[in-house]
Order: sequence, then C-alpha cells, then structure tokens
Amino acid sequence: MFITDIRKEFYDFVVNQRVALLVSSDIDALCACKILQALFHCDQVQYTLVPVTGWQDLGTAFLEHKEQFRYFVLINCGANVDLLETLQPEEDSIFFICDTHRPVDVVNVYNDTQVKLMIKQDDDLGVPSYDDIFRDEEEEGGDDSGNESDGGSEPSGKRRRYDEVCYAAAMVIFELAWVLTKDTKDMLWWAIIGLTDQWVHDKITHMKYVTDIATLQRHVSRHNHRNEDEDNSLSIDCMRISFEYDLRLALYQHWSLFESICNSSYTSCNFKLWSMHGQKKLQEFLADMGLPLKQVKQKFNSMDMSVKENLREVIEESSNKYGMKDIRIQTFGVHFGFKNRFLASDVVHAAAALLESTEKDESPGDNFIKALDCLSRSNLERLHGGIDLAKKKLMAIQQTVASCICTNLILSQGPFLYCYLLEGTPDVKLFSKPMALTLLCKYLLKAFVRSTRNKRCKLLPLIIAAPMDVEKRTVIVLGIPPESETSDKKNFFGRAFEKAAESTSSRTLHDHFDTSIIELKMEDRTKFLDALITLLS
Amino acid sequence: MDPSEVEFLAEKEVVKIIPNFSLDKIYLIGGDLGPFNPGLPVDVPVWLALNLKQRQKCRIVPPEWMDVEKLEEIRELERKEDTFTPVPSPYYMELTKLLLNHASDNIPKADEIRTLVKDIWDTRIAKLRLSADSFISQQEAHAKLDNLTLMEINTTRSFLLDTLNCMFKLRSNLQPGSSGGKAQDH
Repeated sequence: MFITDIRKEFYDFVVNQRVALLVSSDIDALCACKILQALFHCDQVQYTLVPVTGWQDLGTAFLEHKEQFRYFVLINCGANVDLLETLQPEEDSIFFICDTHRPVDVVNVYNDTQVKLMIKQDDDLGVPSYDDIFRDEEEEGGDDSGNESDGGSEPSGKRRRYDEVCYAAAMVIFELAWVLTKDTKDMLWWAIIGLTDQWVHDKITHMKYVTDIATLQRHVSRHNHRNEDEDNSLSIDCMRISFEYDLRLALYQHWSLFESICNSSYTSCNFKLWSMHGQKKLQEFLADMGLPLKQVKQKFNSMDMSVKENLREVIEESSNKYGMKDIRIQTFGVHFGFKNRFLASDVVHAAAALLESTEKDESPGDNFIKALDCLSRSNLERLHGGIDLAKKKLMAIQQTVASCICTNLILSQGPFLYCYLLEGTPDVKLFSKPMALTLLCKYLLKAFVRSTRNKRCKLLPLIIAAPMDVEKRTVIVLGIPPESETSDKKNFFGRAFEKAAESTSSRTLHDHFDTSIIELKMEDRTKFLDALITLLS
Repeated sequence: MDPSEVEFLAEKEVVKIIPNFSLDKIYLIGGDLGPFNPGLPVDVPVWLALNLKQRQKCRIVPPEWMDVEKLEEIRELERKEDTFTPVPSPYYMELTKLLLNHASDNIPKADEIRTLVKDIWDTRIAKLRLSADSFISQQEAHAKLDNLTLMEINTTRSFLLDTLNCMFKLRSNLQPGSSGGKAQDH
C-alpha cells in the first residue's frame, strides 16, 4: 500500500523499534540513507545498515536478519518485483520501501499489511483498480506474461506494472525530515545530490529535473533566509548552499578546463572530439572565446582571475555559436571554509567512482562505506580521492567511446544497435560495474547518433556487453532506449532479456534491481542475441 | 593532566539553552534539571547542551561574555597589564572551542570571537612563559600567580615540574659531598 502520511505511517512506527536498513548501491540510495541515519541519530533509533547489490544480496540479508528485526526499510530496491513472493517473510515482518525503480509491481501496491511504499503520488496516476487486475487473472487463467512492447498496455500488462512519476529517494526522505522540522543544510545537500545523481545517470527527464530543482530551490532559500539576518553573518565554516546556473562540464572546477571539455559527454559529442576535425573545432572554439591554451590547460583554480571572471557567460555565448544551446544547467553548489567549493555533480561523480572502484583488496561493502563517508563534510580527503578516481573513469569512458566510434564497433543488428567490449580493451574492468557501464552506454549512443549518417540507426536502442567476471566467464549486458529529445526514460529491456533467456535457456542472472542489466555466460552470448533480434523485430 | 580531562571538567559549566521539546524535571546525580518547555530558556550543563544541540533539540544561547566588544576590552586590558587579569570564565578556552565547534550557527560573529579568544590566550600564555622563565633563572623558592585558569596551568605543568626536578639534580650534584652525592628521584 502507499503511505500517505510519511510521518505517522512510517517514522512514528519505527522510532521506538530496531530497524534493518537495506540500501541499494547507487548514489541516490546512499544520500537517502545518510538523511535517514541522521534522523535516527537524533532520535536514538537503533538500526543495522546492510548494503545490498542485487536480489541475491537482498535475500541473504533478509534471511540473516529476519530473526532479530520486524521492520525493514528498503531504499531503492524491492518495489519492482513481488516482494513477499521473493522473500517469503513471516506474517509480522513489515517492509517500508522507498524505491525509484519503475514499474512498481502491482502486488506490492495492493498488499495492505506488510508492504508499505513510500512513494510520492501525483494526481495523474494510472493505478489499475483492484478489481480490474485480479478479476483479469481469474479470467485469463493466470497467464503470467506482462508484455513489454513499448506500445499500448493490454489488460495482462496492467496486472504487473504501475508507472508514475519518480522522485529521488533522497528527496522523499528529506521531505520526511522537513515534516519533522529536523531538516538541516546537510540533509538538504544530500537531497540535492540524490536528485543530481538521477540526472547524471539519466534516470529522469529534463522536465522532471527542472521541476525538482525548483522544489529544492525553495528549501535552499528558506535555509539561507533563516541565517543571514542583520549583521550577524555566519561563520565561514558554516555550510552555504547556493543555486548555480553552471556549466555542464564534469568536474571542471577540480580539473583543468581543457580536460573537462574533452571528457564531458555533452561537449565531446557536440564537437565530435574523437576525430581530428573535432579537435580542430575545439581549438577554434577556445580561440573564439579568447582563452589562451596555456590558461585553459592549467588547473582551474590557478587560472588567472581575469579569465575566470565571466567564464560562464563567455562560454555560453560561444557555445551558442557552435550549436550547444544547453551548455549551462541549473544545479546547486556548496561552499564551506575558505577553499571548499563543490557542485552537486562533482560529488555524484566522486561518490560513484568510489562506490564502483575496482581496486583489488576492496569488497563491495568497503566501497559502500567509503562512498557513504565521502558524502560527509568531515571526510574531505575521501571526497578528493573520489574526484581523482572519477577523473580517471571519465577519461577511460572518453577513450573507449573514441575507439569504439573510430573502429566501428557498434553494429546494427536490426531492431537494435549492439556493441561488445573485448577483454583486452584498456580499462575494461571499470565497465564490469553497472553505473560505469550505463554512463559509457549512454555516451556511446549519443556519440554514435552524432557520427552516423544512417537515419534509421539514429532511432535504435543500444545494447552493450562487457566482460564481467573473467574466471566465471560471464559478461554484463545492458540495454538503453533510443536517443530522443522527448524520451520518457522507460526501458523495456528487462522483459525482453527475460524472455530471450527463457527461450534459449541461456544461463543468465537477473540480479540487478534495474531489470535492464543482466549477467550472462560468455558462451551463450550469440544465441541470446539471436533470440533478442527475433523477439524485437 | 590531559587536556581532554580539563575539557571534561569544563563541560560541567552551565549554559543557557532554548529547547524545542518538553520534558518534566529530571533528577540526575549531579543535580536537578528542567523542566523543559519549548521556547523557554533553561540552564543546563554544557555536556547536555551539546548533546541536545547535536540531536537538533535545542538552540544554544551564547554566554554573556562571548561578545565581540566585551572580549575586545578584555584583550586590551590583558595586553596592557603585566599580571594576569581576571578571566570571563574559568573555562573560557574550552567553552569557546566546544561552543564554536558544535553551535557556531547560534553564535553571532563566531569567527571574530574565535580570533579574539585566541589573542587573549596567546597573551596570557606568553606572560606565563615569561614568569616561569624568570622564576627559574632567579631561583625563586615560590611564586604566586592570580587569575590563571586550569587549562593554562596545565600547559606548563609537566614541563615546569620536570625542569625543576632536573635543576634540583644538577644543583645537588654540584655541591660536593652533600646528600651522598646522588640525587633522589621523585
């Protein structure tokens, strides 16, 4: 069931109990977790934090803790599959789910006792009524397939799914804090990072992003107004959050402007920086703005003040001439102490790089804790470490995209485009992780659309496969919808993958909470692909 | 003594807070506290004030002496006098640090206050060093210093005592045939 009053129906329940917090491995979940932890500390609620990376992890965690805990809070996991069916809990276990994965499984919606969904509801819903669904089931004799074609939804499709607007988990939990009037600037900053994570990893539409930014902007003004009154200005060490209309260049304030332009997907795809022609255009662009190359290749903080002064406006003006109308994006920045300034996207990149770091001795649990730490203001070296890792990751993505485009590794298979990263590709280990692979995939599709002349290919979705575990001989396969201005980010590959796997009895593991990411045995790759082609044609 | 022990003692000092919750009077071993009513100021020890502040259950009211003009006067006075002037609070340094670290959003002009308190501290410590230096070089038997706080005494305590012990050893070795030639260790 949906929770309408998050305070009465969730917080007041758990505040005197011991709670198990099961948190998925993405930045939005981490931010929601931080906010919830802060609230729990205020009210001295005992909790156990368990990071989970997939359904198996979730199942194991549940089995380990079901004896000791009655209340489970699931963040960014659990909504899109029939939870009670999967976990088989006792009658008295209660699950509070705050999940951004869509579509929500209808059984979760209609369970009144054990499954409580913390999902903000807007007026234009679309929940099929209880009778529609369950009567259908009797009539159709329990036919289990919800169809996934991106056209209409037939009655059997309605049974399984329920789509609606998707607020970042961190924003939902921040609203809880606000309702309790315990919201602080730290929590607001985490909510901002959660929203920015959704935008960086392309999980929400631009319209939704802008709307949510406006909501957060109201909170930011409220906090700023509270503190700046008369002459009593705040200590320099206090945290200040400000609204910024800043450049869409990843990490540019912690890097050199040149590197940032080369490694950000927006600029790189617009200039086509994988080609000589593109490089020349970039030089022209810099010359057009009157920025000397020496300045631009320096660390950003060491650039001359005269150059930095109107940088954003200068870049915006020139970008318009080169066809980049949206080089500036609405976002927020934070600043505390004399030299610590960060944009929300900087923190997202840093935390994502830490979370999916592929160093040898680190377990996923360690990475989770490190990424969680870098979100606190007191752990600045961790954050800077994350920024360095993020720079390497972005450079690796850029180089992989360049080589894929130049060597024509993206092939059209009919109903979709396909790319396979060979084992020897440099930095291929980075791409065995879902978030990094998603970034690569989206970047690759954008670049491909810009570089190909084939009109039909521009409208196709992209499936990418990369080696996941060399010993077990598996690959990670991920599919994204086609590149379009008005896309609503709905991804139907989940069902397509399931069906293809069934029909060819390929050995697959559908472990990720995001159903469009699966693990597949290397040997089964070809037959799996063939099945997909037939399925989607 | 360890500086953290001195800070622990400082946390018993009383400070005013404005809670946002209500609670009846509580009876603790050290004394009674409360009752707590939202919006009404109440006096509590610093340790409780900090805990409540961190749990966002109160707002801390800075002590009267934690004010830019007052501290400037104290600083000027300290610089003029050769002896130690009376301090605003026997634990002024610890309280400043604790309150400014955890509740700087409740204290206006926090940065200036931090600088002023540091100036006062530096002046006093300089005087203490001078005084200790002249005490040792003139081989005095005893000295009297008014208005020192526990934290200041603590900075010099171990060093001063060790120095005096060393001097005693050296002096007793210089006098031939007395005290059996070997100094006693304390």
